[in-house]
Amino acid sequence: MAISKEVYKVLEAIVGEEYLSSDPVVCEGYRSGPSGYEAGLGYERVMTKIPGCVILPLTTEEVQKIVRVCNRYKVPYVPYSTGWYGPRSHCHVDDELLIDLKRMDDFEIDEKHLYAVVGSGVIYSQLQEEAMKRGMYIIVGGGGSQCSAIANMIGDGWSPLSYRIGLPHRRILGTELVLPDGELVEMGSLALQDDPFWGDGLGPDLRGLLRGFTGLRGCLGIVTKMAIKLMPFQPERLEPAGISPHTSLQLPVNRVKWINFTMPSKESMKTAMFEMARAEIGAGVTKVPIFWRAIAKASCKEEYWDIWSKESEETIRDFHLLRVLLVGFGSEEQMEYEERVLNDIITEIGGEARRTRPTDESWFKNADSAGMWLMCGGYVSVDYVIETLEHALPHGENYAELKKKFTPPLMPDYGDPGWFQSFELGHQGYSEFLVYWDPDENTDGVDQFYLETSKENIRKRFYTSLLGPHQPLYLTGPAYGPNYHKWMLAVKDEFDPNFLSHPPVPLAHDEFVEKAEWMRPMKDWEGPQITK
Amino acid sequence: MLKGKVSLDVTNLDNFEYDMSKCIKCKGCYWVDHIYMSGVNFSTRCPSATRYMFDSYGAYGKMRIGLAMLEGRMEYSDELLKTLYACTLCGACDVGCKRNLDLEIELSLEALRIKAVKDGKGPMPEHKKVARKIIDKHNRFGSPYQNRNQWLTKDIKVAARADVLYFVGCSAAYVNPEIARATAKILNAAGTPFMLMPDEWCCGNMLYSVGMIDEARELARRNLEAVRKTGAKTLLLSCAEGYRTWKVDYPKMLNISTEDLGFKVVHLTEMVDELIKQEALKLTKPVDLRLTYHDSCSLSRLSDPWTPWKGERGKWGMVSPCLERRRGSSGIYQQPRDILKAIPGVELVEMVRMKENAFCCGAGRGTQEAFPDFAAWAAEQRLFEARTVGAEAIVATCPWCKDNFARVAKETGENLKVYDISELILASIEG
Repeated sequence: MAISKEVYKVLEAIVGEEYLSSDPVVCEGYRSGPSGYEAGLGYERVMTKIPGCVILPLTTEEVQKIVRVCNRYKVPYVPYSTGWYGPRSHCHVDDELLIDLKRMDDFEIDEKHLYAVVGSGVIYSQLQEEAMKRGMYIIVGGGGSQCSAIANMIGDGWSPLSYRIGLPHRRILGTELVLPDGELVEMGSLALQDDPFWGDGLGPDLRGLLRGFTGLRGCLGIVTKMAIKLMPFQPERLEPAGISPHTSLQLPVNRVKWINFTMPSKESMKTAMFEMARAEIGAGVTKVPIFWRAIAKASCKEEYWDIWSKESEETIRDFHLLRVLLVGFGSEEQMEYEERVLNDIITEIGGEARRTRPTDESWFKNADSAGMWLMCGGYVSVDYVIETLEHALPHGENYAELKKKFTPPLMPDYGDPGWFQSFELGHQGYSEFLVYWDPDENTDGVDQFYLETSKENIRKRFYTSLLGPHQPLYLTGPAYGPNYHKWMLAVKDEFDPNFLSHPPVPLAHDEFVEKAEWMRPMKDWEGPQITK
Repeated sequence: MLKGKVSLDVTNLDNFEYDMSKCIKCKGCYWVDHIYMSGVNFSTRCPSATRYMFDSYGAYGKMRIGLAMLEGRMEYSDELLKTLYACTLCGACDVGCKRNLDLEIELSLEALRIKAVKDGKGPMPEHKKVARKIIDKHNRFGSPYQNRNQWLTKDIKVAARADVLYFVGCSAAYVNPEIARATAKILNAAGTPFMLMPDEWCCGNMLYSVGMIDEARELARRNLEAVRKTGAKTLLLSCAEGYRTWKVDYPKMLNISTEDLGFKVVHLTEMVDELIKQEALKLTKPVDLRLTYHDSCSLSRLSDPWTPWKGERGKWGMVSPCLERRRGSSGIYQQPRDILKAIPGVELVEMVRMKENAFCCGAGRGTQEAFPDFAAWAAEQRLFEARTVGAEAIVATCPWCKDNFARVAKETGENLKVYDISELILASIEG
């Protein structure tokens, strides 16, 4: 038994014997890798462990009790909702307690005030369907329909639909947070009354503490309940159809429609995004990376490579596909109006509409993130920025250039400059850089590229969302702070004085660089004194 | 084998090292296809992970555990055997995974059981008892072999020789004679002559399912030879488990393709659907029921035909020659529904989880024998789902499903009728 019999007994008294196990077979089932998001890389191999014990609480009160026991007996722990976010959401130290939150799947929906209250075990596609049944919708983040809605809201999941209704953290309402010492913090209107309808509450807004920018992976506590704002949708049903793997939502094209446009240049795509925003039309927009189309077309891995191997630097450079979502939220007339305006904009810029299937496979209910593993078996997004469109485009191009130095081991992509889109009606630009590799070959170069992107951001003054636990805190903290790292650790010390909540996050990547010999030569910054 | 020579041979776990090591924990094996996600209720399709909750009971956990077994990092224990066997092998995980990826999840799970048996640790004691009955008495109940044809009644016409051979199977022969009789009478009514095996033995479904590959293969050879001797062009089954065993598992065990069997393997629903569409069979008598259809796993997502394959895995995990993955797409989904819709008076209502997303009844692949509580729990979940759509009856295409549903309905006082589809077809012919 990895944890003492005494601790085990106390934990058993909290949840019952059926929901607690330290059996090696059960614990092995919670291994992070060898595959998954960012898995199979050095970070996963060096930094993750299987848990010493797994517990499945049902209520917030049980979570509080578990955390208090951990503090009393100095047992490190990590909260875990679906395990989807790769090694960073798994155990990092020996004899750790993994708190699996999947039983906490309570769900309530308030149709009148347009919000849902979810537990940590509720995933996005469940939430989306419940919302759509009632004429509302939410964004299923690109991370996938299988994400815990709470975890992804904290981690800031987004999609092309963020163009219209913005970033997730704007939709976090009343929230329950169990602090690392077991104290319960109720945020927003929950702080005042038993009603989570509003995000703001007494005193400073603590929601930022939940996430840093892209999530702190539980190192500052465990969110057990969250009210999430839903947005009004149109009234017609998006009907599921087809047999796996060819399933899709049939769109009522009088109210919901995707349209693909061939555009003359990348600049013209950016112009289109701005002009759409200026005209206040559209429900979603994105540039389509060419390899996504290859994935969608391919019936298997081998066919993907047949398709992909016919591409070249020229075809990639000249491929400009813009995908626009129109929704007649208020009426069919709105839809018709927006389509006419959109066509005027695109025509003026020199784009051309392509025949587009009246279906949705990837964004409303099913975010196809799992398909990212089809071609190589290894995938991670090395960086994403949320700044301006002017910022997003050169960010991707810059990375494409840097990537050449690390290809192989990275998959050859003929200089593809990543993915960009517009958020919040053109007020923000988004760039994401996805990389793929063969996990059964030496992947040291992928680890190095991941870190090098962080340095490149600092050198070239690109903003990044991957702060906190996703890169060495002492590399990014001084650059973006200048005291980001100090504040981060001060907050951590205050909230988690025993450093038990998912150690060594937020210093995990710092520790990884120290431990991995192929990373150590890259360290040209002053590191932390890790004492706990 | 991560790279190099590889095949689909389930007797060598090495063949599935790549598949087990590439599970990304998206849990597509656990949740229903997100396109079909119905909300917070009825949202999972893996009975094992839904019941036992720990990740080790989902395919995502089992792939990691399997890899540890392959690498010699995992000792056998009661918990390990429970993890391997408290699983319906229903294929939900396989089709879920293959919606996006090319990983052989079902075959990995089968290979793990075969390894457990080879290592002298599997199957479960209850499985061994049933295996003994199959070997000694040629049926899984241990009933006297000479009673195998007792289901036959005088009004059923059986041909001495015919193109169609009806393989009755242990369940319909011994404990569900109503299914065998209905099937035979339907064929009589359609004017389709059929014969029976001179000495029908158990198909060995359970032997294969629990990993007893040597015994299962021996039985497969014997049965295949026996059918070939009859000269039948079509082997007809009314049991979904038997259908899968003949169509998929026999070719898999004998390293041949389904089309190399020398005859077509057909389920009753395929044949009846065709007969109705050719107007050779008319369903005229009303059956006034609001009913729902349960997709038996072995007729639906597990029934894509088998083709042996061996080759090499190289860069990016690509294999050569080309491998057409079995994704559950060509299962028998529509025919039973068309039949039910053709019955006057029937109002067919779909459950939330249907077709490739259906929730297994819990009976098959050795589950009921070794984990009866789990099998009953799964059936209870499904019956509850049927009730929520307002069904008066649930219809299956497999005696295993019918039996499990009927038993649980009786035990729990569930006011839901349980039928095999053959009974309803016959009712609409005879009234």
